[in-house]
Amino acid sequence: MLVLNPRLVTFGGETWEDVAAVAVDRAATRLIEEWSDNGPHAVLVDAPEQRVTVRVVQEPSGDAPGAPLPGESGEFVVFTAPASGDTGRLRVSCEAVVTRVEHEVSLRRGSVRTVWLTAVSADGANDPITVEDAGASVS
Amino acid sequence: MASSYKGLDLFGSGAHRFALGRQAQFVVSDFTLGGYSGNTVPLGLFELDVVVRGRLVAATEAGLWSLRDAVAAQLIDPPDAGTLVDLHGRTWADMSFIRYEESDRVDRGRVWSVGYEALFRRFAVTP
Repeated sequence: MLVLNPRLVTFGGETWEDVAAVAVDRAATRLIEEWSDNGPHAVLVDAPEQRVTVRVVQEPSGDAPGAPLPGESGEFVVFTAPASGDTGRLRVSCEAVVTRVEHEVSLRRGSVRTVWLTAVSADGANDPITVEDAGASVS
Repeated sequence: MASSYKGLDLFGSGAHRFALGRQAQFVVSDFTLGGYSGNTVPLGLFELDVVVRGRLVAATEAGLWSLRDAVAAQLIDPPDAGTLVDLHGRTWADMSFIRYEESDRVDRGRVWSVGYEALFRRFAVTP
């Protein structure tokens, strides 16, 4: 999932400014691949252990002290910003833990802060990412 | 074709592979037998082992338990030999089911599954 120029991003109740993009990446941290005695091709592939990573790209216009710290946890919320009006606006949320914060400064891109968070499922079975219709709940 | 042990399709829920165990003479040194030489003495052939490695797969937890219980139910004391047949019809008669070991966790992804290794042996002397 990729959200460009989100309307609002919050983490632990605090608003994160100057967010250019939010990406939700998914990867299998444990992969099952099984072959049989019948031939060369895999007959079972499954992903019983997965990691959902939220990557937030900020482009601060000036100094940006007070970056989140690895280990901080809270509810991460992002509202999408469709081109016009509130139709189709979504609220994407999850409980998440900050795992990495990086800064990059260049003449071409300016300053960029990237924050990685790992989404946490409440019970291990349900998808940690919740996507809802946000309607006009954010101005 | 499906594999079987005593006519039961124990492993057909998921991929599984057959392998033969070591086929060799059991050789010991003369010294361990009380002699004083570096010679070795053959004491006879090892018993035949066939190993089945694979994964039991079910759509539900209950279904997986049924598969696991069905396999474990064939571990009996004393062992009772039966015929083991692989996926291509290769047959080993008089095989006793002597060990069933599962991997360190049940995997809960799209399906419920657990890896295993099952050992069958043809005893030279019937227990």
